[in-house]
Amino acid sequence: MTRVALVPGCLALLPEYASIDDPVDELRSACLAAVAWLGEDVRVIAGAQGARVAAALLAEVGTAPVTSREAAYLIVGNGSARRSEKAPGHLDPRAAEFDDLLGKALTTPDPEALGALDQDLAAELWADVRAIVEAAGLLRDVETVAVDYDDDPYGVRYWVARWAVPSA
Amino acid sequence: MLRLGRHEFGDDEALMMAIVNRTPDSFFDKGATWAEDAAFERVRLVASQGAEIVDIGGIKAAPGAEIDAAEEKSRVVDFVARVREEFPTLVISVDTWRAEVGDAVCAAGADLINDAWGGADPELVDVAAAHGAAIVCTHTGGVTPRTRPYRIEYDDVVRSAVDDTVAYAQRALDAGVAKESIVIDPAHDFGKNTFHSLEITRRLGEMVATGWPVLVSLSNKDFVGETLDLPVGERLLGTLAATSVCAMAGARIYRVHQVTETRQTVDMVWTIAGRRRPARAIRGLQ
Repeated sequence: MTRVALVPGCLALLPEYASIDDPVDELRSACLAAVAWLGEDVRVIAGAQGARVAAALLAEVGTAPVTSREAAYLIVGNGSARRSEKAPGHLDPRAAEFDDLLGKALTTPDPEALGALDQDLAAELWADVRAIVEAAGLLRDVETVAVDYDDDPYGVRYWVARWAVPSA
Repeated sequence: MLRLGRHEFGDDEALMMAIVNRTPDSFFDKGATWAEDAAFERVRLVASQGAEIVDIGGIKAAPGAEIDAAEEKSRVVDFVARVREEFPTLVISVDTWRAEVGDAVCAAGADLINDAWGGADPELVDVAAAHGAAIVCTHTGGVTPRTRPYRIEYDDVVRSAVDDTVAYAQRALDAGVAKESIVIDPAHDFGKNTFHSLEITRRLGEMVATGWPVLVSLSNKDFVGETLDLPVGERLLGTLAATSVCAMAGARIYRVHQVTETRQTVDMVWTIAGRRRPARAIRGLQ
């Protein structure tokens, strides 16, 4: 394993939900660049919806998920969907602090903090972190290559991040 | 692919054809764009509203003062040239049944001949072919141009519309008009009473199923007015309802007075039908 990337499970990234004017064009560009950077033989760590997003992004760059070889990993997850009054889950005042902790743990990266995320609180905050917690161990021996996207344009906190084992 | 003179469109596109009257007496605008500059302002407006086509007419459809070919040409030929000059991306259609007028306007830059009178002048198809122009083949039930329907009945008005427009399209094809430059139009209210126009609307899918692109001209017409008991000027909502039905069936070109309202209606229906994406959808998809 040399390369790991994170993208959000944003359904607007799916081709069946495409608009004339892409509401997530910057996010999409960042996702596609990160997924392309993973190369071939990408193993996806995601829930069912996240796996669809991952498969669509991989297809867009001309590859497909694998289950056997593990050259690279694509994790699908995101922060809270309760970040504002117009957010899908309305405003929860705890969302900002939760996302700040999550964001710091991702960008550092801090696998222990990710592994210890409060999943009950995450569920209350509509944060999709199951795959992130599951994959926390993958981030033990890597360093952050780039945080390509870090924003919440529609009340949901997204990160697109890339990690790799440091070259010797 | 649909080719209208110099312009090409994909098969999934719905097009707005804005009516521009160079007449002193048309039923809807009552001469508002009779003056050349007023008509030109109308072209500017509809172009800014996104109309792909302007349909320039020099004679009102209803009976009235005799307008000979020379007078008709004086109303439209130079105007077409002026529009061609200023709006190179606009499709220019001319509403005429006369081959002589068709020839002159095509020479001046028209892309499309909108023959609202069902091929009354047999040489019109030759003119379209000679200029590489497109043609609209309408159904009128065989009436003389500029006459109102009087006690016309059909065994099946839709069958008649399909048969006559397809035959006219074949005549255009045989004359050398390109296959992708032929459009058919059931011609609501032309040679039809209100019941006929309603049935044509209800069964428009049968015209679409011919494979020829279908134009509909519904805008503020009497079948809308009689259906809702509303005078000209209060028929927009009824027009848009009829437009929705035709859009669902797959009509490709909409000849209209109100471009913005019709565009929104057709875009909405086109998207419901799955032929167009939403403009920008994020709700529930974040």
